[in-house]
Amino acid sequence: MRTIGTSIQRVEDERVLTGRGRYVDDVVVPGMLHAAFVRSPHPHARITGIDSTKAAAMPGVVAVLTGADMQRICNPMTIQMLQGYKSPAFFGLATDTVRFVGDPVAVVVAESRYLAEDACDAIEVGYASLTPVATIEHALDPSRPAIFADVGTNTLFEQSHTYGDVDAVFASAERVFTEKFRQHRYANVPMETRGCVANYDPSTRELVYTVATQSPHGVRFALSGILGIPADRTRVVSGDVGGAFGLKGFVYREDVAISAASKHLGRPVKWIEDRNEHLMASAHAREEDLELTVAARNDGTLLGLKAKLVMNQGSYPLLPFPSALFTSIMRVMLPGPYKLQAYSFDTTVVASNKAPYVAYRAPWEMETFVRERMLDIVAHELQMDPVDIRRKNMVTAAEQPIHMITGPTLERMSARETLDRSLALFDYAAFRDDQRKAREHGELRGLGIATFIEAAPGPRDMSAALGFGLGKERAHVRLETDGHLTVITAQMPHGQGHETTLAQVAADEMGVPFEHVRVVYGDTRYTPFSLIGTGGSRSATMASGAVLYGTRRIKEAVLKIAAGMLEASVDDLQIDEAMISVKGAPQRAVPLAQIAIMSYMAADHLPGGAQPLTEVDHDFDGDEGGWAQATHACWVTVDRDTGQVKIDRYLVVEDCGTMINPAIVEGQVRGGVAQGIGGVLYEHSAYDEEGQFLAGTFMDYLLPTTTEVPTIEIDHLETPPISPVNFRGVGEGGALIAPAALTNAIEDALAPLGVKITEQYLPPARILELTGTI
Amino acid sequence: MSARIRLELKVNGKSRELDVEPRKILADALREDLGLTGTHLGCEHGVCGACTVLVNGQAVRSCLMLAVQARGAEILTVEGVERDGQLHPVQQAFRESHSFQCGFCTPGFVISTLAFLAETPSPSEEEIREALSGNICRCTGYQSIVAGVRLASQKLAAETGAPVASGA
Amino acid sequence: MLRGRAPREYARRTIEGGPFFSVKPPPFDYHAPSSLQEALELLGQFGTDAKVLAGGQSLVPLLNLRLARPAHLIDINGLESEIGQVRTNNGGLAIGAMTRQRTAEKSSVISERYPLLAEALPLIGHIQIRNRGTIGGSLAHADPASELPAVALVLDADLVVRSKSRGERVIKADSFFVSFLTTALEPDELLVEVRLPGWPSGAGWSYQEISRRHGDFAMVGVACLVRLNAGGAIAEARLAYTGAAPSPVRSREAEQFLAGQQPSTDAFAEAAEHAAKVLDPASDVHASAAYRLHVAKVLTRRALQVAVSRATGGAA
Repeated sequence: MRTIGTSIQRVEDERVLTGRGRYVDDVVVPGMLHAAFVRSPHPHARITGIDSTKAAAMPGVVAVLTGADMQRICNPMTIQMLQGYKSPAFFGLATDTVRFVGDPVAVVVAESRYLAEDACDAIEVGYASLTPVATIEHALDPSRPAIFADVGTNTLFEQSHTYGDVDAVFASAERVFTEKFRQHRYANVPMETRGCVANYDPSTRELVYTVATQSPHGVRFALSGILGIPADRTRVVSGDVGGAFGLKGFVYREDVAISAASKHLGRPVKWIEDRNEHLMASAHAREEDLELTVAARNDGTLLGLKAKLVMNQGSYPLLPFPSALFTSIMRVMLPGPYKLQAYSFDTTVVASNKAPYVAYRAPWEMETFVRERMLDIVAHELQMDPVDIRRKNMVTAAEQPIHMITGPTLERMSARETLDRSLALFDYAAFRDDQRKAREHGELRGLGIATFIEAAPGPRDMSAALGFGLGKERAHVRLETDGHLTVITAQMPHGQGHETTLAQVAADEMGVPFEHVRVVYGDTRYTPFSLIGTGGSRSATMASGAVLYGTRRIKEAVLKIAAGMLEASVDDLQIDEAMISVKGAPQRAVPLAQIAIMSYMAADHLPGGAQPLTEVDHDFDGDEGGWAQATHACWVTVDRDTGQVKIDRYLVVEDCGTMINPAIVEGQVRGGVAQGIGGVLYEHSAYDEEGQFLAGTFMDYLLPTTTEVPTIEIDHLETPPISPVNFRGVGEGGALIAPAALTNAIEDALAPLGVKITEQYLPPARILELTGTI
Repeated sequence: MSARIRLELKVNGKSRELDVEPRKILADALREDLGLTGTHLGCEHGVCGACTVLVNGQAVRSCLMLAVQARGAEILTVEGVERDGQLHPVQQAFRESHSFQCGFCTPGFVISTLAFLAETPSPSEEEIREALSGNICRCTGYQSIVAGVRLASQKLAAETGAPVASGA
Repeated sequence: MLRGRAPREYARRTIEGGPFFSVKPPPFDYHAPSSLQEALELLGQFGTDAKVLAGGQSLVPLLNLRLARPAHLIDINGLESEIGQVRTNNGGLAIGAMTRQRTAEKSSVISERYPLLAEALPLIGHIQIRNRGTIGGSLAHADPASELPAVALVLDADLVVRSKSRGERVIKADSFFVSFLTTALEPDELLVEVRLPGWPSGAGWSYQEISRRHGDFAMVGVACLVRLNAGGAIAEARLAYTGAAPSPVRSREAEQFLAGQQPSTDAFAEAAEHAAKVLDPASDVHASAAYRLHVAKVLTRRALQVAVSRATGGAA
């Protein structure tokens, strides 16, 4: 029975439902100690002294470590992965300067978290305040101090790219429009905070680091180098992870500080981040300004784009790749599925006294936001319908294959089909009629439509366009002695259901029941190397492809052996429910289990001299890859007296190729849309003008609940494949496009009041400011 | 300060004893002292609902109770929801409806749903969303959770033979 | 329930320095009296260094975040049978301070006779909060964005407090809420009961609030009660606001203006302007003062509209 395409119940579920998940805080190691951090209350200051004598003497306290200890125990942390990026060098704890509110200054290790916090209370830290660099404007202001003295400037990265003859195209354009867009800082906020158990055993000189992570090998690679522990004695383990959305794909200073503490003490140390720390001092995302200039004809034909991006990376960069890398994705993807003749993209990445910038579900989201917003703004200026301007400029199927102006090939890209399909699902003209009538009664209703494409994983020429590649994906597949399969993946699932989906792929390929496949992940002792782990909407294609082809190689060897036994040719055989039989002659059959045991025990005596193959490593490069795309439509009503926004309806038409597990696909889309809605209406990692953080609890940082997220209707298209692996990534699309769809709808609702929206955070108070009511 | 306090309580039908500082939070006592790690901590200031347990049949945030306040109480955690090693209809319904992804919020939702359906066996969609607005999920966008609660109400009704609301 | 103001204190603490990130309570001496008398003894002894633990939905977050560091914690959950009952009282209602919010929410005598209170109760946080949170705890905590103080003000409630040394004292609601998170309670006093006068016959009511999400603290909330006279004019109007000043407040000026007025959109709008004068809202991450002021007026108009329509004789 084939399981691909069915919403088979997930393997992961039973342990989660019965409370038997193994999240990092559930891990208990004998002799384990507990850590708590002392953190800076100042955005920018010199440390004048730390007095921990009282703390060190308190009951149950085993050690207090500071930056000086980090300098002694560790190599400095620094980024070397991006040419042109000016990386500071820093340690797991602040040494002489604190650079954001929440910067860790000391770590207490004690017998319980309660006692550790008591000791933190007793530590006295002296600070001498420095001028804060709190905003992008501050960061670009040469009169403000460089927050990293060893770098000497707050501009850490600059890059410019030009495609086509920008000057000529703009000079001859009938219309030129410029807007400056501002996206606010908000964050991933998974339900499980960060956490780890570092266990350095002095007798084996091995560090076993249990951590909630998306990338065990990424963590291993970084910790090995920073702590000076050989890679073969560094092991990273991850069990169940309570969500991440990008945040847990990086290596943080706390990872280093806790590992260093364990190494120093020779004892296991656990640290579980609390929610205040998480909101304030883990990392934030999305803070970008982008000035976009469009050259167009009066009839709405787009000719060229000029983009100037400034990204605020906050203070310390996260390892192993800095956020500056995502600006390349923004550059390549900003044109989207639209035709252009000329394009330029200037990037600046600045540092400031804020928490680090981290990848958050589609970290290049800014490009989709500004493009889809700008299309509506230009349409409005030209008195065109926003759907018409999209139709006029979007690449159609007939025009493909075609290169984006930035290089990647668009082929089997179905953005236009998703747009057309979405419009077929409701009566657009009728809505405009209703909207007109509603406006006569003073009611503000709006519709926003937005379309994206995503390289999930993208075509072969994507890497060249970006300037970097994410490499091949490896899977290890093993046929066990009883004919079951073990699949060892570099993926690190944290809600996406890979334990299930990869088993579906292997089971269907081999012809065994789903229950005969076990997917193993999360331990660097066994898993293949991957720097990124799970992220970037890759697993559906990359991991599935590696599993599919790896399983196929084993299957081919199995069939050759079976052919000899059944005296048939390989082409006449089929495997179903773990039974290999001759097509049309089911009585001529042999169980897979028998072939398996023979492969192990009688390898030299297989029929016809066939060679056994019980284990393979398969590297998959993504083949022709492919695009994921969707159009989202959002209907809102805005209360003109209170500024509250109600989402009346939300519709998604998406195409991610063949769906391995439709329920999982839909869950990913809805979760992403909910986060996009949160970002626009509720979530803000807010700082004041002095760099003081304002959103440190869940009373200030608001996540949408059951009453804020609407029903999300989803329609699916499945574009036929170019290559046999037709599963495209879907994890990020919802979050990528929802802010654009929602802000388009809000601007459409407020159109009678002449409101133009170039920002993303729209709480009720802001809506009333935009309408001039307050 | 205060010496440790010894108290007895019932957890998942079994009598248990705790010997804790008065400042120890109930959630920590359940997780650390009784080894019941199914109850999760998501915020420790009473907003996210991941720590929800039943205390004397009522859904309560266990991060906002001191363990010593549970003296003599009957507590149900997610580990106690199964029936004779089989998934409870609420758990089964969540499974069939794909009502979670990373699973961290799930124990809290299971417990809140148990309490809710006991009181409102035949809820409308609006009632479901209202009742569960005190539990936060970051992965699902809630729709599959709402579907799971609706399915659970149908499964429970089928057990008792009671009529159910049409899936409004 | 912890909403709204603690983060501001929290922000203030961070600037002053000091324990910044905390989720485990600091040490304290714990007392669990089993009678009111015992509780009052303890308050008499430790009052200034003690906090009373009732539902815990406001206090325990403060303890976890170490924003409150009482040397003594007096847990009065053992007093539920003594001071946790709802009973009729001289044509009015006496609600024991330890009455759980959820119990009050499901109380038929409250929903039948005090519909304004019944309308406000489900807006307090979420079910799990209301299962533990108490009527008295919410009033004594006096979060300036919470629902019950505004309702108490509009219903002219009497707050009954007791101490060991002075016995019983009855404080009128409009003297009870003094300033930001501060009530007229002395350190050795315990709020034991809330007495509501009989519901004014034929009165219409409305409780309205604007919050960021369902269950959040009100950015602004209005509790409104209106009586009409035989001619359909407003005999009496009462308006109390939450979230719009350091403590909940009644607008006597708006009330005086409305007395004798025929209900009309213009009258409501003018009343809203009068009400605005007594309000002094704060700016925070959720809304500016200008927004709160504006919405207070919007809610005033809406609440009066609904209250008038519910007043007996008014169209539904």
